[in-house]
Parts: sequence; C-alpha cells; structure tokens
Amino acid sequence: MLLEVRDLHVEFRTRDGIARAVNGVSYGVDAGETLAVLGESGSGKSVTAQAIMGILDMPPGRITAGEIVFRGRDLLTLKEDERRKVRGAEMAMIFQDALSSLNPVLSVGDQLGEMFVVHRGLSRKDARARAVELMDRVRIPAARERVRDYPHQFSGGMRQRIMIAMAMALEPALIIADEPTTALDVTVQAQVMDLLAELQREYHMGLILITHDLGVVADVADRIAVMYAGRIVESAPVHDIYKAPAHPYTRGLLDSIPRLDQKGQELYAIKGLPPNLMDIPPGCAFNPRCPMAQDVCRTDVPPLYEVTDVPRAAGTDEPPADRTSACHFWRECLHD
Amino acid sequence: MTEPLLEVSGLHKHYPLTQGIVFRKQVGAVRAVDGVDFTLGRGETLGIVGESGCGKSTVAKMLVNLERPTRGQIRYKGEDVTRLSGRALKAVRRNIQMVFQDPYTSLNPRMTVGDIIGEPYEIHPEVAPKGDRRRQVQDLLDVVGLNPEYINRYPHQFSGGQRQRIGIARGLALRPEVIVADEPVSALDVSVQAQVINLMDRLQSEFDLSYLFIAHDLSIVRHISDRVGVMYLGRIVEIGRDAEIYDHPTHPYTQALLSAVPLPDPQARERRERIILTGDVPSPTNIPSGCRFRTRCWKAQERCAQEVPALAVPAAFRLATGPAAHPSACHFAEEKQVVPPEERES
Amino acid sequence: MPEPTPPEHHLPGAGRTPEDGAIADTGMGGAMDLATAEGETLEGKPGGPPGTGPSGRDAGGASGERARSLWSDAWRDLRRNPVFIIAALVILFLVFISLWPSSITWMSPLKCQLSKAQEGSQPGHPFGFDGQGCDVYTRVVYGARTSVTVGVLATLGVALFGSVLGGLAGFFGGAWDSLLSRITDVFFAIPVVLGGLVLLSVVTSNTVWPVIGFMVLLGWPQISRIARGSVITAKQNDYVQAARSLGASNSRLLLRHITPNAVAPVIVVATIALGTYIALEATLSYLGVGLKPPTVSWGIDISAASPYIRNAPHALLWPSGALAVTVLAFIMLGDAVRDALDPKLR
Repeated sequence: MLLEVRDLHVEFRTRDGIARAVNGVSYGVDAGETLAVLGESGSGKSVTAQAIMGILDMPPGRITAGEIVFRGRDLLTLKEDERRKVRGAEMAMIFQDALSSLNPVLSVGDQLGEMFVVHRGLSRKDARARAVELMDRVRIPAARERVRDYPHQFSGGMRQRIMIAMAMALEPALIIADEPTTALDVTVQAQVMDLLAELQREYHMGLILITHDLGVVADVADRIAVMYAGRIVESAPVHDIYKAPAHPYTRGLLDSIPRLDQKGQELYAIKGLPPNLMDIPPGCAFNPRCPMAQDVCRTDVPPLYEVTDVPRAAGTDEPPADRTSACHFWRECLHD
Repeated sequence: MTEPLLEVSGLHKHYPLTQGIVFRKQVGAVRAVDGVDFTLGRGETLGIVGESGCGKSTVAKMLVNLERPTRGQIRYKGEDVTRLSGRALKAVRRNIQMVFQDPYTSLNPRMTVGDIIGEPYEIHPEVAPKGDRRRQVQDLLDVVGLNPEYINRYPHQFSGGQRQRIGIARGLALRPEVIVADEPVSALDVSVQAQVINLMDRLQSEFDLSYLFIAHDLSIVRHISDRVGVMYLGRIVEIGRDAEIYDHPTHPYTQALLSAVPLPDPQARERRERIILTGDVPSPTNIPSGCRFRTRCWKAQERCAQEVPALAVPAAFRLATGPAAHPSACHFAEEKQVVPPEERES
Repeated sequence: MPEPTPPEHHLPGAGRTPEDGAIADTGMGGAMDLATAEGETLEGKPGGPPGTGPSGRDAGGASGERARSLWSDAWRDLRRNPVFIIAALVILFLVFISLWPSSITWMSPLKCQLSKAQEGSQPGHPFGFDGQGCDVYTRVVYGARTSVTVGVLATLGVALFGSVLGGLAGFFGGAWDSLLSRITDVFFAIPVVLGGLVLLSVVTSNTVWPVIGFMVLLGWPQISRIARGSVITAKQNDYVQAARSLGASNSRLLLRHITPNAVAPVIVVATIALGTYIALEATLSYLGVGLKPPTVSWGIDISAASPYIRNAPHALLWPSGALAVTVLAFIMLGDAVRDALDPKLR
C-alpha cells in the first residue's frame, strides 16, 4: 500500500459543541490505483483529505486518533518540517476552485517554477523552462507564449490544467483531487478528467478522487469508498458497487439520481436529512433515514463486515475483491 | 401540444460595453442572449440546458422581468409582456414566478419564513385578504412538505433542501401559471435533490403549472422535462421532445454534450464513444460568424462560416417522421446515438 | 491626527446570516456551491455559526430551538468577550458622569482659586489644581460631558448623512453614484486638521455645534463609502431579485430587504469613528479652533496645561489620561462589535 489511513478520527471544537467530522476512517491506495471517496456535504471526505495532506486547520480541528501511513511512515508522528518535505514532493493536492487556489498577482510560469526553485533548487531560468514543459504536458496550447500570463487570463478548464501541472511538477507518488471538476462545464470536465487519468497512468501514481458525483466516479475509479457522517459505510471495487450495493445508503444514492438514458418515474428519495455532526444518532448513523432499519441499528454501531459471495459483475473475472460494508444487514441489502 | 401559454420570439439581450466616462462610446456588446424562440404550453415542462455563460439564466430573468430584453417578444397568452408597465405588468408578474438557484441567498435572512412566503400577498394585496394570509402561508408550508408551525422561524434554521422548499412555497403563493426555475436543485446534496425534484413533479399536477426548468445537469432535465432546448452561446441550437433530444440528437453540440456526461455505470466506460470537444466556448462579445459552434465543431466547413443555420427541422429529415425530425440549427445535421441504452437491470 | 481606520470593508457578507458565509456565493454551478459548502463547513468556519452544516443542518427539524439571528448571535459573542465588557463598562460610566457630573463631584468646574494654582494632590482635591487654580478632578469629570456630546452627535450626524447618501447612491447607481463617488474623493483629500484650522478659525460661536458640524462635513464620506459598498453587496443577493420579480417597489426593497442586511458595517465603522471624533475635538480645542472657554473640555485643559508641564504635570496628565481611556474604550467597543458581526471571523 502506498498510503494507508487507519482509524482516523478528527473533530472540530465549535462554539456550539464538538463536531465529529471523521469517526474512524480507514482506507488505502496503491500506486497506480484510483480510489474515489464519495460523499455528500459534511460526510468528512474533504476533512480526511486535508488530514492526509497535513493542511487541516488546527485548532479548531483536532486529530484525536488514527494513523496515516505513507510509504511506511506514519505522517502524524513526523515533525512539521519533515511533513513539509512530503507535501508537494511526494503527495500533492488539486483543489476544486482553481481560480482561488492560484495566486492572482504571480504569472502561472512563476508559480509553476517556484516548485522547482523551492524543492529542487533550480535557477529561475531553468525553473521557467520546466514550467513551459509542464504546461505542454497538460496540453495548454502555446505554452511558451502563455507562461507569462496571469491566472485570470485563462479559462476555467485551463486553470484546472495549471493546477494539475502544479500538482504533477515534482512527480509525486500520490495525488489527492478534491472535486477537481465540479466547477467546470460538462464538456470541459471530460477533458480535464481524461488528462488526469492519462497522467496517472503515465506516472503510475496513486489517486484519491473526492467527489459527490456518481457519474464521475463510475468513469474513472478503480475502488470506491462511500462516506456518511464521518465513516466509511461501504468500500468496494467500482464494478461491484454499481452492480449490487451492499449498504442501503449507497443503494439510495444510486436510485435517487435521474438517468440520462431513460425517463424515469418518480425518483427514489432518501428521506430525511444528513445528521448533525454534533449529535450523530446512536448505533448506525444512517438508521433514521434507512428503509431497512431494525432495533439493532439504533443501538449497535455496525462494524465493517467483509462482504463475500458477491454476485460478480458481468465481464469481470478477477478474484473476489475485498469488499466491506458497515451495515448489519448487508446480506439483505445485497440480495434485495 | 396544448395551447401555448408563453411564446418567446427573437429574444435578444445585449449588454453594451462602453468606454470613456463623460462621453460614453459603445465599443461592443456582450450578446448574452442572441435570438431565442420557444413556446411553453399549459401544464408542460420545457427544460433548457447549456453550459455556463450560454445565456440560459438571462432568459429566465427576462421572463420574470428582472431584465428588459434588448429586442424580441415575450407573449403571455398572446400579450407582449415586454411592452407592459405599471398595473398591467404587475398583473402578469403574478402569473409568472421564479424559483432561484441558491437557497442560501434567495431568502432574506432577516425575515421569518412567514414573512418571506407572505410577502407576495403584501405586494399583491388583492390575492388574499389580510386576515387570511397567515392561514394561506401555513397551507403553503404544508403543501411543500414543511411543518406549518415553522412559520416563525428564520431561514438559517433550515437545511438547504428545506430552504428550497420555502423558495418554492413563495413562488406558489400567488397561484401562478408559469414557474421559471433556474437551477433549482444544483446547490443541493444528491440525496436531497431527488426530494425537491419529486416535490416539483407533484406540485405541477396539483396546481396545473407550466415549468421552464433551467439546469446544466442533463440527467435532471431529462427526468423532469417534456421538451428540451439546448442552448449554446445565446441561442437554442436544438429543441424537441426529451426522447428526440436524448436518444436521437442531430446537432453536433448536443451530441458532444451528451457524450461528455459521466454515466453512473462503470460498464458504460467501455461501451461509450466520447466526443471530446477541443477549446473553450468563445466569448459572447465576439461570436463567430455563421454557425456559432463552428470553432469547436468537427464537422465545420466553409458554409458554416458564412451561413447562419436556422433552428428548423433539417432538410435531411424534413420528409421523415421519426424522432430525428425535430428542429436543429445545423447545416450538416445527422443522427447519432451517444447515450448507450441501459443494460442494468433494476 | 488619527483618521478613523476604515476596517478595509471586510464585511462583504455582513448582510447575511452567519451561516451564509458557509456557502461561498460562487455563482457557478450549484454543485460547486455545494462542494464549497462542504469544504468550508468543516474547515473554514468550524467556529460553527448556527447553520453551518454540522450544527444547523437539522436545526429546522429539531423543535424548540430558540430563534437566532445575526444580532442575537453577535450579542451572545459580545457578552462573552472581555474586551467588550471592559469597554462597555467604561462607556457606561462616561455616559453616567456626563449626565450627572455632580453625583461624583462637589464643586463647580468654573470656580477657581488662583492662590492654589499648580498645587498638587491634596485632601478634597485628588488630582490637584491647574494653572488657573481650578480643581483638575472636577474639570476632568465635567469635560466628559463635552467629549461624549461631541462624539455622539458627530457620529449620529455622520452616520445618518453618510449612510443615506451612500445607500441611495449604491442602490440606484448610475450618474448620481459616479458624482457622489467623486465628491467623496474630494473630501477625502482634505487634511482634517488643516481643514479644521481654516474653517473653524472664522467661527466665533461658543457652542459645540460648529465643531460637530465640521466633523459631519468631513466625516460623512467615510460612512457613505461603507454604506454604498454594503448596499451594493446586499443588492446582489437573490432575495432582492426575488422580491423584485414579485413586483416589489424600490422603497420596499430598500427598507425591507436591503437596509436590515446592510446596516452592520455602518454600525461598526461608526462606533470606531466615535472614539476618533472625541480625539479630534480635543485636538481642535488644543489648537484653539475647537471649543472655547468657558466650555469645559479635555482638549482645552490639555492645551491650557501644556505650558506648565514641568511644574504641574498632573494638570496635563489627568485630562490626557481621561481622553486616552475614552478613545480607547470606543475603539475597543467598535472592534468587538466588528468581530461579533463578522461571520467570517467566527
């Protein structure tokens, strides 16, 4: 495993109490693998990513338990200056909003080159040459002429390419992309996702893709981890999860999205609202909204069950992959 | 189609670009909406899709009179709304209401839910007598699925989905005939989107509403719409019944748009041909000559730069009666299936 | 001259409820807003205003939750802020002694004994005597009245005048707005002390009104700028558009929707400015163009005592100290109010 998050807990102290944003998240990514972390607002998917990158605001945030093992080292035990060397060089992050993630008063060439000046000690001239190379690689037309342009002179899609170039600059082993295409139009979104997937293959990087879009996930992910109220409720290879979800929340999400290829009748709607993180329901956090909830769901927190004897997705013949579900009734859900 | 309630023809909205402070000189214009025609029948839902900056929100604003068109007509029951003012305008406004995109900014944080939903009655006092208003507001809350006792609460005590219900209740207060919904669910969580869509579906039959439903999410538009118009750079490039547009698109832009939508089905990855458009949408200040899509179109030829394609049933399909025969503004329109038919059993 | 520092207008969202900050108004697709909300809810503002995701998410569902608004939240913040409590106590005390100075003094500030000039502290005269043999303690207490009167009246005048002009300019925009902006620029260019020396030296009145009038004259552009900015911000909110699409009149928009949501930054800046006006009055009086004897004012006393600073420093230090504490108290109050009203800092 390139990166392994083990039993991570993060909480935020707020004026109104303690918000438990992440409650025991474990997941892993291999080199060359794409893990999609799927969840709605407040599910803790971004917070987990920030904890991995070490860019969580602390305070008010606090990591109360857990390990983040990256290439054999627990990042949480590293000193801040060691951590800083990991950031950027070994793992990098792509944010949703490229415009606010780029410095508006520096040219994109300067910002790209800075990575080489700071981490690799290149001269400004060499750094600029590398910047042009990078812009070429993310297929920005006329890179040599545009290297002196400022972020606002680029379109949204081009800016997101620059963000990708910046993340790729030092050829990190892991990229975390937090909703990288949410702000983009569909046609541009496809271009950017294609580019990201291509670069990932080329450099054999691990990619954690954080998103709420079930379509994007189906397009690029190898594995999916579905988060709800700060926990992973289901984790499985992508084909399996779409074929037969083993958690009622995943099932509800899949059923509630309208389809492009058919005009449905009434949509299935998950009833109720996501929980208040200061007051997560006892037992399974999803129980108040769950159509299958029983008494045990209101009292016992479901452990992560191994999901076995899964009907295989058509056309895949790899051995049964590791699959987990945090539902007492995963079997019923799967075969329903 | 049923009788047209709303007829829009030749609608333009140009924002002038000026230079100079004292002697303003017009140096150009942002052609946000550049000749849009459509009709909306009673009880019908017309979906408008397009990418950001295509002018779909500007169309919505003109329909509810938040913007005055530069040119063109909006006929409501045969009467040109753009020429009305004063009392007559107010009367028409009552019948065309809007639901906004962002439930967080579209409700005044200083007003209670009761005041927000009741405000239409204060502006149009003839609709409900004063003593009756509170009851009406409570009825509306009930209709949109909120507890009528919430009448004295403030918007921030509600979640995004609940706020959008409040916004919808405000839109319904005057019993309008047309509701213009500008991205009504795109600010909401996936699991809440379905609730609001279902609500809008239910209200449509309950109150015999016509919807103009504007969104960038093609799947949602298909779900709710009877007919769909695809906008690109200020114009509708293709319009037709939902199956005509989604299953038998003939305009290359529609085809590219549909092929780019990620499908929630990992198996579609292999089965699907993707049309990846190159480049970006041109600026609305500098719209290409002829067909406005030609700069990104893989079919573009000489003719596209010279002749503006009209939004009509293309010559190739004029004699056909199948689903491909619907208005499409392309000189080289041809049918192409880009959404793979569903295989998943459900 | 300490110009009141404009708090670099960092209250863009001051008109909104706290949790609106959680949704960056991206104007992009709602999905983006949604995701921004997610990011910010948990990272940016875990300070947790009521509606931010975690806490307020189902606030609407939980019955019996008390009503909260920006103001009640701000008040809750303020009550816990020691800076605010200290400042408020000092100001209450000042107001008390300006209303009833005789409650803690037992002499007239104008009754002086030249024989005791420059004498130090002694029983019954804790602060000693000034150059004219007047009791410093009594004069410091009576001086508070002038300072507070000038400060409060000047601030009220500035706030009213400035916010009405700025607010209207921001709301209507256009040529009047440009004109007003240029006029404010001109006023900003006038050096306050020099302007005071020139303008007030021709006035012979003994009352506080010329000084107050001068402060309003030079102070309103600052407030008008803030008011204009916050009205423009509030005007862009969707709820204003929503009311407009219902057919609401301009006065309804202004009074009901914009003013309540735009007033917070004005209050903040005015509170801070109040302190600086008190200092300005002292400065002008010191320079001999402000208030004139027999009016009792700290500035006059500081000015009168400065020649004897070697022999009788107490006559200078006590009024200066009172002035410094008063100005500090108002600025601290303004700071605390700003923090409490600024959702971004939560």
